[in-house]
Formats: sequence, structure tokens, C-alpha cells
Amino acid sequence: MSLATFENYFLPGNGREVVALLQEYGERALILAGGSFVHGLAARDLLSGVDVFIDIQKLGLANIVTDPDGLQVGAMTRFTDFEKVPEIQNDPGWGAVKDALSYPPAQIMNAATVGGSIAAVCPYFDLPTALLAVGGKVKVESNTGSREINLKDFSTSLFESSLGVDEFVTGLVLPQPVSGSVSAFIKLATNANDLAIVNVAVQINLDRSGVCRSASVALGGGVNEITLRSAAAEKLLEGQKLTDELMKAAGTAVQVDISPMADHRASAEYRSAMASVLTERALQRAIARLTRSS
Amino acid sequence: MKQLISLEINGEVHELAVAPQDSLLRVLREDLGLIGTKKGCDSGGCGSCTVNVEGKAVYSCMTYAMSVQDRPIVTIEGVGENGKLDPLQQAFIDAGAVQCGYCTCGTIMAARELLATVSSPDEEQIRHAIAGNLCRCTGYQKIVDAIKLAAANSA
Ligand SMILES: Cc1cc2nc3c(=O)[nH]c(=O)nc-3n(C[C@H](O)[C@H](O)[C@H](O)COP(=O)(O)OP(=O)(O)OC[C@H]3O[C@@H](n4cnc5c(N)ncnc54)[C@H](O)[C@@H]3O)c2cc1C
Ligand code: FES
Ligand code: FES
Repeated sequence: MSLATFENYFLPGNGREVVALLQEYGERALILAGGSFVHGLAARDLLSGVDVFIDIQKLGLANIVTDPDGLQVGAMTRFTDFEKVPEIQNDPGWGAVKDALSYPPAQIMNAATVGGSIAAVCPYFDLPTALLAVGGKVKVESNTGSREINLKDFSTSLFESSLGVDEFVTGLVLPQPVSGSVSAFIKLATNANDLAIVNVAVQINLDRSGVCRSASVALGGGVNEITLRSAAAEKLLEGQKLTDELMKAAGTAVQVDISPMADHRASAEYRSAMASVLTERALQRAIARLTRSS
Repeated sequence: MKQLISLEINGEVHELAVAPQDSLLRVLREDLGLIGTKKGCDSGGCGSCTVNVEGKAVYSCMTYAMSVQDRPIVTIEGVGENGKLDPLQQAFIDAGAVQCGYCTCGTIMAARELLATVSSPDEEQIRHAIAGNLCRCTGYQKIVDAIKLAAANSA
């Protein structure tokens, strides 16, 4: 239970009010979405200096729009509703997102929001790893208007993002995967309700002869301070035929880009070893979808 | 600073003063005396505090009370009708799915969302639905049996 006491709880009705509150209270204010991460911070007394909640559930940001270019997902979309989107269920190019959403328990699926999952910049979450692999942009709003930040530039360091003090996340734009893309995600955890020790998501696109046109390999779960893409693995895959040996080599290649943390869940050495294994398995899982979908 | 809010719990509207940091769990147990909802870990993960908000299972320990104003809440006290047990409660008794009982109310509230959406769930769906509820006593098999029984009895 949190020992901290809070001064105020606001339920603004539009984005301008949110920005005004962020400007007025600065570092004292915290955006509240599903609260599943905020609660954990409060319980561990990690919210010193914060005494104002800005609950953004009344902004109408829980909508999902599908168009030929892809998906626009409102920041307050709960995992449960995101999982049900037919494109997420059916397009193998978004397989990693579907996989990542199959892990959390119902109570988290019903509370956690897409925006909160990104804005928390917590390296142990699963959905952000999957989103990083499929690419996209974070939509943010401030008093100067709105802008988009590439997902891969959003996280800057542990729990820190490139959001300005008076900016907040309004949604996410996910580009339609290029035809023939497949993707997959895998999480290693101690139990059904725990955060990842390591997680890996991949998205690949192959031409007719099985040569890899493009690859993205994203890793999270404490293999680094922030969820990251492995340029070394991607470079190795691109332009090559995806053989078992190559996928194994890509697993080895991720070592160049990661610097694993050690904690109560796993040692750095274990995370490091598992990052290679899971990368290879995620690639295999994605490839299996290719065979099925073609 | 406390604010006056109204919460709709088990069909009844309560006006009460809550602080921004108050969890729904704390308000239920300490302000309203609804102690069927249990406090286990108080940090999202054991499931003993599960209630339904707009029909969905959530951990009340990590739900801020102010965030559920005007959103119908059901706790274990609200599941039976006219003194009659809910089919899930009855099935938990009949299947012997209760040992110490600490997890029971939360697990029933998680299963309730499942049965409201899937009338005859298979074993995998049941296990998935209660994955966020820990039981240190039963080994889960009898809980799964009870949920199957409740589904069959409600069909
Ligand atoms: C028991 C448990 C199990 C879990 N299992 C999984 C799992 O299997 N897979 C997985 O991926 N994740 C898992 N999680 C993590 C969960 O996904 C995150 O806690 C959740 O996504 C955070 O979203 P939220 O809406 O609850 O955010 P909140 O807790 O409300 O907010 C999170 C952070 O982001 C900020 N924020 C939120 N929304 C915005 C916004 N729109 N703009 C700017 N800042 C914002 C908040 O200020 C806060 O700092 C689990 C968590 C718990 C507690
Ligand atoms: S008390 Fe809420 S999940 Fe354990
Ligand atoms: S019956 Fe004791 S914890 Fe489940």
C-alpha cells in the first residue's frame, strides 16, 4: 500500500485541460491511465514529489481506427480491446502483437492501456517489445499542438521518454505490414503473472525465393535499460536466405547490441544466453507462419 | 485531499469521501465493510482482490477508487440473488474447490467474467481466465472442475 498522500485527482474532459494541468503542476503531476504500473510505483514509494493524478479516461481516447495504411490506436485502448481487433488477430505481419497480448492475466488485460504500456518505458513489459518490432509512431499532444515520435526514438533511458513536461501520449499509429510479412513474439518468465526475464519480437519480410528483404529484431525484459532493436542481427538477416544456421547466427549476433541487467529474476549471464535462444526461436516461430499463410 | 464521489456497488449508489491514493480495495473493505473482497499481495498479482467493473475482472488493489466513479462495480457480496447462491458459488462448494478459502472470492469474480462471455468454456479457456488468481491450497484442479460445473448448471 502506498504511504504517500495525494493532493488532487483530476478527470479532465479534453486534451487542452490535460496540457493546462501538466503546465500548472509540472513534475508534481502524473498521468493516470489504467493505473496498473502507477500502483506499483506508489506501492514501492517511487512517486516522491508527485501528488496530483491526471486521469485521462474521459478524453475519448479508447478508439481504434483501421484504414488501408494501418491502425490508429487510441492511448486509452485497453489490452482486451486491442487484442480483439481483427487485423491483430489475423494478419501474420502483426503476429508479435497478438502473441504479446496472449500473456497477461485477464485483470491486467482489462486495466492496462496501450498508451500506458508505452509511456511507462519499462524494459520488462512485453507489448512495447512487440510494437517496436512492427514499427510505428507515438502520437503526442502539448500546448504547441500534436506531433509524432518514432517508436524507436520514444524511450530514452530507464523509465524516461522523449516526452516534454507538458506532453502526453494520445495514440499510436501502426503501419500496415508489407504484404508477405510475418512476425512473432516470445516471452521467458518465471510464472504466468510475472514480468519477462527476456522477451523478443521479430518481423520479417521475405521475397518469393525466401530471401529476407527486411528484418526487425526487438528485445526487452531487462536485456538493456530500454527495449531495443538489434541492428547486428537485422544486418545479418537482410539480403540472405533464412536458413536454420542463419537464424541461429542472428541469435548470436544480438549479443553485440545488448547489455543485460542482473536482478532477482535472473543474472546478466542468463539473460544474455536466453536472448540468443529466444531470438532464434522467435524467428522460427515467424517463419512457421509464413508457410501457413502462403 | 479527500473528494466526495459516488460509487455504484452491487446496484447501490454510495456517496463517500475518498483520497486520490485510495484503492477501490481499501474503500470496499474499510469504508464499506465489504470484506468478502480479500487483500493478498496488494500489488497486483495474487488475484484475491478481484472484483468486476462494468462486468470485467479487475484487481481492486490497483484500481484507484476515483477512477471507477459511475462505473458499475460488483463484488462477491453482489453475486447471489435473493439469498440464493450464484451458480459459481454453489459449484465451488459442490466440487470441493475451497480449502482455506482466501482465494475463492477473487477466483469466482474472475470466472464470472468468463462465464458471462463464454457459455461452455473448455479447460484451456478456464485456466487462462483464472491465470491471474493464485491458490496456495487446491492445486487448481477442483477450481477448474467447479467452473466447468457452474457452466454446465447454468446452461
Ligand atoms: C500483475 C501484472 C502482470 C503484468 N503482465 C504483463 C504482461 O504479461 N505483459 C505486458 O506487456 N505487461 C504486463 N504488465 C505490465 C502492464 O502491461 C503495464 O502495467 C500497463 O501496460 C501500464 O498501462 P496502464 O494503462 O495501467 O498505465 P498506468 O499505470 O496508468 O501508467 C503507466 C505510466 O505511463 C504514464 N502514462 C500513462 N498513460 C499515459 C499517456 N497517455 N501519456 C503520457 N503518460 C502516460 C503514467 O504517468 C505512468 O508513468 C503486467 C503488470 C502487472 C501489474
Ligand atoms: S491483493 Fe490485489 S492482486 Fe493481490
Ligand atoms: S483455497 Fe486456500 S488459497 Fe485457494
